[in-house]
Amino acid sequence: MFDAVFGFLYQFGDAFAFLVLCATGLAVIFGMMWVINLAHGEFIMCGAYVTVTAARAGLPLALAILCGAVVAGLVGILVERLVIRHLYGRPLDTIVATWGISLIAAQGTLIVLGPGLPGISTPLGSISAGGLSYSVYRLVLMATALAILAALYLVFNRTRFGILARATIQVPHMAEALGVDTRLIYSLTFGLGAALAGATGGLYAPTMTMVPTMGAQFIMEAFVTVVVGGADVFLGTAPAGAVLGLVKAAMTSWQGQLFGQIGLLIAVIVVIRVLPRGISGFLLRERS
Amino acid sequence: MNLLETRDLQKHFGGLHVTAGVNLALAQGEIHCLIGPNGAGKSTLFKLILGEYAPSGGSIWYGGDDITGLAPHLRIRRGISVKFQVPGIFAALSVRQNLAIALQHHLEGHSMAEEIERLLEYLNLRSEAAQRAGNLSHGQKQWLEIGMAISLKPRLLLLDEPTAGMSPEETHATGEMVKDLNARGMTVLAVEHDMAFVRQVASRVSVLHFGRIFAQGTIDEVTADERVAEIYLGQGHHHV
Amino acid sequence: MARPGLPVRLLRRLEGPQTMGRGPLFWLGFLAVVALAALYPLTADGYTVGNTIYFFNWCFMALGLCLIWGYGGALSFGQTAFFGLAGYGYGIVTLNLGAAHGLTLLAVVCAVAAASAFAAVLGYFLFFGRIGGVFLGIVTLSVTLVFERFMAQTAGPEWHVGVARLNGFNGMSGMPPLTIPWPGGDIALFPDVPLYYVVLALLVVVYLGLRILVNSRFGNVLVAIRENPLRATMLGYDVRRYQLGGFVIGAALAGLSGVLYTAWGQYITPSSMGITAAALPIVWVAVGGRADLTATLLGTLSVLAGFQLLTVYGSQYALVVMGLLLVLTVLLAPEGLIAGLARLPGRLARRGRQNGNGNGNGNGNANGSPNANPNGGGA
Repeated sequence: MFDAVFGFLYQFGDAFAFLVLCATGLAVIFGMMWVINLAHGEFIMCGAYVTVTAARAGLPLALAILCGAVVAGLVGILVERLVIRHLYGRPLDTIVATWGISLIAAQGTLIVLGPGLPGISTPLGSISAGGLSYSVYRLVLMATALAILAALYLVFNRTRFGILARATIQVPHMAEALGVDTRLIYSLTFGLGAALAGATGGLYAPTMTMVPTMGAQFIMEAFVTVVVGGADVFLGTAPAGAVLGLVKAAMTSWQGQLFGQIGLLIAVIVVIRVLPRGISGFLLRERS
Repeated sequence: MNLLETRDLQKHFGGLHVTAGVNLALAQGEIHCLIGPNGAGKSTLFKLILGEYAPSGGSIWYGGDDITGLAPHLRIRRGISVKFQVPGIFAALSVRQNLAIALQHHLEGHSMAEEIERLLEYLNLRSEAAQRAGNLSHGQKQWLEIGMAISLKPRLLLLDEPTAGMSPEETHATGEMVKDLNARGMTVLAVEHDMAFVRQVASRVSVLHFGRIFAQGTIDEVTADERVAEIYLGQGHHHV
Repeated sequence: MARPGLPVRLLRRLEGPQTMGRGPLFWLGFLAVVALAALYPLTADGYTVGNTIYFFNWCFMALGLCLIWGYGGALSFGQTAFFGLAGYGYGIVTLNLGAAHGLTLLAVVCAVAAASAFAAVLGYFLFFGRIGGVFLGIVTLSVTLVFERFMAQTAGPEWHVGVARLNGFNGMSGMPPLTIPWPGGDIALFPDVPLYYVVLALLVVVYLGLRILVNSRFGNVLVAIRENPLRATMLGYDVRRYQLGGFVIGAALAGLSGVLYTAWGQYITPSSMGITAAALPIVWVAVGGRADLTATLLGTLSVLAGFQLLTVYGSQYALVVMGLLLVLTVLLAPEGLIAGLARLPGRLARRGRQNGNGNGNGNGNANGSPNANPNGGGA
C-alpha cells in the first residue's frame, strides 16, 4: 500500500518537476513581457549541450549545469537585442519570429555540431521500493524545481532587479520616467528566462540523448503549463505544475506516457475555457 | 414604457464592487446622460448592458424582455447599438467597407450602395470613402463609428464619451446630431464628462458614484444638488 | 437598367477589396498562366511533372492557412494535424477497401470530412471558449505535436485499423494512388501527366472559389473580425461562428493537401505533423503575404521551389534558410515579401504624385487632431 502511494507520489513529483522546470523560463518571459518564445526548446538544448560538454571536460555536474544556464542566458540577451526588441507590442509576430529562430538554432546546430553529442550518465543511482526502482536523481530534480521557484520568488520580490523588472513590465512609462533603463531590464529579463531554460536543459541532460532537436520534447509541456498557469510565475506556474502534474501522473499510471500527454492537452483546453486567464488570473481576479 | 431597465444590477471583481446595485430606467425617446467621477463604474455599466460582462447580480430588461443572459450580438440584433470611447472601427479596411459591413446585415446590392452614399454624405466623409479607415483623423474616426452605430437603425444608442477629444465646435455639432437622431426615434444613453454637451442634449441625467446612482433628475436639478458638487469637488475633479 | 451578363457578374464576385488583382488585365494574365501551366507537361519530363504536382499539393494547405490566418486573423499553428489526419485517413480507407469502383475517391471525401469534423470539434472548443491570439497558436501547435507523438509510437502490430497498420515512426505506405473508375480499365493516377491535370484543375477551382468566398459577405465579416472582433460583435455578428467556419474550411483544405500528398507518394509518416513540418506552412504564407490569396499562392510556390533547390545541399541548410526567411519577413516585411513587392509600384506612384503636387493629400491626417465641423460648411 505504501509502495503504491510512494509510486504515485513519485510519478506526481516527477511530472511536477518536469512541468515546472520546463515552464519557468517561458513563464518569466511570457508573464513579464507577453512574449511567447517558440525557441524555448532551443535554449534548453543549448543549456544541455553546454552542460554535457563542460561535464565531459571535467567540471562537476552542478557547475556544468550553471555554465549551461549562463551561456543560454547570454544567447538569450543576444536574441532579444537582435530580434525581440523590435517586436514588442506585436505578440503574434513575436511568436512567428521566435519560431524562425528555433528553426535556425536547431538546424544550425545540426549543421555545425552534427547529429548528436555523446551524453553523460545519470548520477546518484537508484533506490527501490515495492519491487520497483526509482532514480534518486529525479528526486533531486524535484527538490531543484522547488528551489528554483523559491529563488525566483526572492529575486522578483526582494532584489532591486526584480522589483524594477516588475515595475517596468507593469508601467513602463513610469519606470522610464523614474530613470530606469527599460531596455536593459527587458534584455535581462529575457536573458533570465533563457538562462532558466538552459538550466532545465542542463538538469535533464543526464537523462536524455543529445540531439539538436531535443528541445521539441519540452515545449508542449512548457506551453501548456504557462497557458494554464497564466501570467504570474508563482501564483500561476507553480499551481499549474501541480494540477497538470496530477493529471499527467494519473493518466500515465492509468494508460501510459502518451495518454498522459493527451490528458494534458485536454486539461489545457478545459482550463482555458473555464479560466481564460489561467490560474493566476483567477487568483488575482484581474479585470479584463 | 421603459425601453431599458436595470434592476439592482451588480458587478464585482473579487472584493471590488464596481457596480453596486444600479436601478436605471430609460423611457422610450429620452436622451439620458450618465455622469460621475472617474472610476464610478460608467464604462462597466455599459459593458453590462451590452453583454460584454456578465452581471454578478440583478437583471437587465429591454423592451419588456429580460436580456440578462442574452449574447451580445443578439442584443445588437434587437436594436441596441454602441459607439465606444476609443474609436472601434476596422482600421485596415476602407471607409466604404466599414459602412458596408455594418449595413450588409439587412441591406444588399443597390439599396446598400445608396445607403452608404447617404451615410458618407451625412458624416462628411464622401471624399474619404476609399481611404483606409485607420488613416482618418481622430474626429473622423469618431464620426465613422457613429455612422456605423446608427446605420443599424437602433432603438437604443449607447454613446461612451462621444465628444472625447473634440473641439467645442465639434462637440456642439455632435450634440445637434444626437438631438436629430433622437427626434427620429432613437433613445440615447450617453456617458459624458463634458457638461456643455450634457446641457445641450440631456432630458435626464444620472450621477453615478461608487457603482450606484447617486442622484437623478434634469441637469439643473442635478447641478443644484449640493451632494453632487461635493462628490466632484471632493474628488478633486474639474469640469467645464 | 438591364442586369449585366453572367460573365460580368461572375467577375464581380471574384474581385473585391479582399483580393489583389482585378480588371481585364489581371484576368488575361491569369488565363495566360493557367494556359502555360496546362502546356507545361508537354515540354517537361516525367520527373519534373511529378515534382510540380508535389508543389501543387501543398498549395491547398497554404491557401487554407491564408484564409484562417490572413483573413481571419487566427494563428493556427496546427494545420499539419489536419493534413496528417486526412492523409492517414486516406491510407486507412484505401488499404482496407482497395482502389476499385472509385473507392479512392470516396476515401478522399471521407478523409477530408474526418479532418473537417475534427476541426469543427476543436474549433468549437477554441472559438466558443474564446481562446484566441497566441493561446490559439499554442493549443493548435500542441494538438499537432500530440498527434505526431501518438502516431510515432504505434509501431506494434496491435496498432491497426482493419488491415492497415499504423506502423509508428516509419509511417504507413503502399496505399493505392487516386484511381478514377473507367469502363475498360480504371485509371490509376501515379505522379504523371493525368494526375497533374487533375490537381491543376483542382487548384484553379479552389483558388477561384476562395476568391469568391473572401469577397462575399462571409469574407467581409471574417476580415472585420480580424480587425476588431468587438466591433464586429457590436454590429450583430456572432463572431465565433464565422471564426469556426473559416477554421473548418481551412482545415478541410489542409486535409485535401494531406490526401493528395499521400496519394501522390503512397506514404504518410508522423513527421508530417511534427514541429518542423508545422513551421513550413507558416513560412510560405508569411513570406508570400498572408492577407491575400494570390500573394500566398505565389509565395508558396516560390518558397517551395527555393527550398527544394537548397535541399540538394542538405535539408538542414534549407531549413535554416526557411527560419531566416521567417525572421527577416517578420522584421522587415510583415505584410509578406510578394505582397510588398506587388504594392510597390502603387506606393512609388503615389509618392511621385505627392512630390509632384507639393503637398500630398492622399493619406489624411493621422495625427488625431480633430476635423473641421463635420456637419457644416460646403457640400
